[in-house]
Amino acid sequence: MTGEGAWRRLSVRVVHLDLVRVALSCVPGYLGAVVLNDDGPVWALVAGSAAGVLGALTDLLRWMTTRYRIGPDRVEMRSGWAARRHRTVARDRIRSVDSSAKALQRLFRLRVVHVGSGEHDSSFKLNALDRRHAALLERELLSGAAAPEPEEAPAETVIARLRWQWVPLNIVTIWAVFLVAGPLFSLYWLLRPFGVDLLGVARGLADWGSLGVVGSVLLCAAVGYPIGVAAAAGAFLLENWGFELVRAGTPPATALVSRRGLLGTRTVQRDDRRLRGLAFREPLAWRWLGLAETKVVTTGLSQVGDAGSGALLPRLRLGEAREVAARVLADGHRPLEAPLRRHPRGALVRRLGWAAYGPALLAGLLLLFTLSGALPGWVWPLPLTVMPVTLPMAVVAYRSLGHTTAGPYLVVRGGALHRETVTLRRGAVIGWTFEQSILQRWGGRMTVGIPTAAGDRFYRAPDAGTEQALSLAREATPELAAQFIEEASDPGVRPVSARTDRVMCD
Amino acid sequence: MSGSGLRLRPPRHRVDPRFVLWRTLQALLWGAGVLGTLGAVYTLAEVTRPWLGPVLLVLAAIYLVNVVLMPSWRYRVHRWEATGDAVYALEGWLTKKWRIVPISRIQSIDTERGLLQQALGLATVRVTTASGEGKISIEGLDARVADETVDELRRITAATPGDAT
Repeated sequence: MTGEGAWRRLSVRVVHLDLVRVALSCVPGYLGAVVLNDDGPVWALVAGSAAGVLGALTDLLRWMTTRYRIGPDRVEMRSGWAARRHRTVARDRIRSVDSSAKALQRLFRLRVVHVGSGEHDSSFKLNALDRRHAALLERELLSGAAAPEPEEAPAETVIARLRWQWVPLNIVTIWAVFLVAGPLFSLYWLLRPFGVDLLGVARGLADWGSLGVVGSVLLCAAVGYPIGVAAAAGAFLLENWGFELVRAGTPPATALVSRRGLLGTRTVQRDDRRLRGLAFREPLAWRWLGLAETKVVTTGLSQVGDAGSGALLPRLRLGEAREVAARVLADGHRPLEAPLRRHPRGALVRRLGWAAYGPALLAGLLLLFTLSGALPGWVWPLPLTVMPVTLPMAVVAYRSLGHTTAGPYLVVRGGALHRETVTLRRGAVIGWTFEQSILQRWGGRMTVGIPTAAGDRFYRAPDAGTEQALSLAREATPELAAQFIEEASDPGVRPVSARTDRVMCD
Repeated sequence: MSGSGLRLRPPRHRVDPRFVLWRTLQALLWGAGVLGTLGAVYTLAEVTRPWLGPVLLVLAAIYLVNVVLMPSWRYRVHRWEATGDAVYALEGWLTKKWRIVPISRIQSIDTERGLLQQALGLATVRVTTASGEGKISIEGLDARVADETVDELRRITAATPGDAT
């Protein structure tokens, strides 16, 4: 236990920041209680102030009680006053160190350092250190990987930079209207104490009665939509300003470093040695537009927060995303573009079956309740009305199924509403599960599960043909599979699997 | 690559025959608890009857199958083995599930013995990996066999270098 290094404190600037926060928090309460001082609903402002002050004071207490130290083989943090916590993380378990800063923290030149060790409850954050110490700590903990400051990391290859063409791709959404509706709603409540009635103002703007319901909705959408899109553009730029994704460091200790943000900058470092694969996420609407979001599959990132989501890039055109993916993987393979093996026709039948009997089952259940007198008679056929939606979705779900192996990678694809194409290094496979229901047994299909320590921790190739499923395991982990998978002595025993083994290319 | 007629060979060992008794007792206890509670509510509170009636009906059918059919069916399916470099298990009844975990990826090995299992001299061996879905539970082993297996696995795991996943 010797040579552990001294206990260190968080930056004293946290105190300054908290004092400023106390002062700022008082403003709305003062306005509400002293300036307005009438019967209006000022309690919201006062409560807001109280919460702000309380938050700042708690933060001060946290600053007073928090100590941390960096030992040669572990990092420790002690915090808390009433409930004390002492957390120890072995240094070889540290998977990621990244830092972030909100606007106010940036003003005080503070950075929050997140130390991630894979499991959620053994990660901790140091909130906050001054910029110099944060950079020092990042370098210290990830010795080998380069520090994020550009002047200290000479060996950097840029993989992608924010391009103006990305902006329209990322702001077009049907939900843009709600970007306006939400703030308007809160503005309405905020302005009420000051005697401003937004609803009244809106009523006076147009002759709603003559427009009718449809006309009113259309007008609202026509006005709200452009504003919503503009707001989305602003939010996107605020978050992604100066976005760049680079590979830093010298081999073998390289890392993917992404930086972004206008007011608050966020730097995320991902050690290349922990990179296990990539994934494209394509929700239904984006798929029609040919857009995809790129995610990394790495070990050791906590499953929460910005780094945990694994989102590497904003939405891009599929072609561009593929180019970037090839540069991220950096070993010359392009597994995400490999033609996939389609799953047997039975998988489609199964999905159509779900789409039909799911609602039917629900209707049957409701019928039971109807017969017992708990529900009125018109309720039970309602679930059947969703079948026009579920049946096409079954086809979409079937069409997105696929898997293959490509060089040192295996690829699985699936999902109806959110199609995800995942490629995983074969070495990242930490076991196999094969699942087969009675119906799948008759149809010669099985669901392959691929447990891994990275990303979502479990990827699936649902409803592959038995032959396809076992071949996938054999190709990905030949030695392991050889112990459990054998050639049947008589191929004629399984005529079904011979039929379903057809390999079709996408 | 995909030759005709690949199949998963069944793991070598069956679980202990007392497994059937254990699962039957377990299903009986659960059934009695759940149906008893709901039945009591059904008889005492008249307003709930239209709602609870169908639920009771469906649950009673499920528990009947669970008590009569499921344990022996599972016993016929469940199999396991631990080789020098992997743990391999097959479980399920309506849906069969094969699980393979290489020794080098094992993070922890546990034995677990509930009250019923203790009374019957059974134990459950649980092997976990870095992936929540990648764990194996082998239920209903003879307690002595379970202990030996776990000791053996601990020995092999310690001798096998892990990989930093």
